[in-house]
Amino acid sequence: MRRFVFFGGKGGVGKTTMSSAYAHKCATEGQDVLLVSTDPAHSTADVFDQPFDDEPTPVDGYESLEVLEIDPEEEVTEHLMETKRALGDQVSASIVNEIDRQIELAHQTPGAHEAALFDRFIEIMRESEHDRVVFDTSPTGGTLRLLSLPEYLGGWIERLVEKREASIDLYEKAAIGGREPRRTAMGDPILARLRARKENFEFARRTLRDEAAFVLVVNPDELSLRETERAVESLADRGLHVEGLVANRLTPAPDDDENGRGARFLRQRIETEEGHLRELREEFDPPVLATVETRVSEVKGSFLAEVADELGVDTQL
Amino acid sequence: MDLPTRIERFRETVVEWLRGLYHGMVSHPAYELVEKEAEDQEDAFLLSCFPDAFGIPSPVSYYTTELLPYLAEEFEQWERRMWDRESMLQRKGEQYHF
Repeated sequence: MRRFVFFGGKGGVGKTTMSSAYAHKCATEGQDVLLVSTDPAHSTADVFDQPFDDEPTPVDGYESLEVLEIDPEEEVTEHLMETKRALGDQVSASIVNEIDRQIELAHQTPGAHEAALFDRFIEIMRESEHDRVVFDTSPTGGTLRLLSLPEYLGGWIERLVEKREASIDLYEKAAIGGREPRRTAMGDPILARLRARKENFEFARRTLRDEAAFVLVVNPDELSLRETERAVESLADRGLHVEGLVANRLTPAPDDDENGRGARFLRQRIETEEGHLRELREEFDPPVLATVETRVSEVKGSFLAEVADELGVDTQL
Repeated sequence: MDLPTRIERFRETVVEWLRGLYHGMVSHPAYELVEKEAEDQEDAFLLSCFPDAFGIPSPVSYYTTELLPYLAEEFEQWERRMWDRESMLQRKGEQYHF
């Protein structure tokens, strides 16, 4: 299994449970594990019964498991403050107000959250020294958009670089007869920043393609299957590696001698689910790595170890 | 003043006038043209960086704000210029000294 493991799927299928169980499994095998929650709902705190924040925090009762919850709001604010600080250093007070307005504006756009989340993502992939980093992602749509950012924004930044280069080139050409050009490509802070951003996106694209694996969590029902089908397709389109599927929330079978209304219901339910499971096994490219039964209550504490045992996802480094 | 000196002086005057004419008629308009084109390109660059200043949302404005501290002066002038500009032709026409 690759070093960065992403658990994805439709909302409510059990991504947090599965990623927590997987992180538990890796950690109890002695790996140094970081579990990153990018879901704004942040349910990892409920699974481990412990509050977490934006820095890796050791989980009680484990030797080598840390959890980090990304808070996009906080990331945006931090970026805003940083930009304002740079503004104060560079610019005379008289025009700061005008520019301030533009900066505030940009940090309120819908893309700001995404970008902030993605930046933190890249930072974690760049800097973490853990043996394994497990990502509990937000529901499929959001995650897929997030993963397509390097391509999308990278292309955009590249066009900005070209435009800047073109105008600098003209300024240099206009400076004939020993005049000082108004701008030069050497030491232009704008070009330097844009290029650094571009490099960051390229790193993200490379790492996601070569070092990340995706595990999709699916429930045995029609809606979840269809969404998984689309997710597999778009991940493949982006050249991302889908390790396999985990079927969660399977209905447990009643004992053979039971024949009440409840037992009949369960048998029928199991029959429907088996149809869906067959479809998963036969018609989906990624293999079904594990099937996990539904639990009587939230998966936490000892349930986590139980689920981890059922979770046949490879933990080899 | 002897003849060679007067000829020499005359030649200097002619050369100065020619240089002046060349500068005024050819080289100055030429680099003015190039510089204006550079300014236009820079306007286009600023517009692609900060289209939301005119109500057009941009997916990269979060990242381009990082440039603002270094572009502050240009940004302010550009914004004013953009609001004041009446047409694209007006600006293009300026370059040809009609």
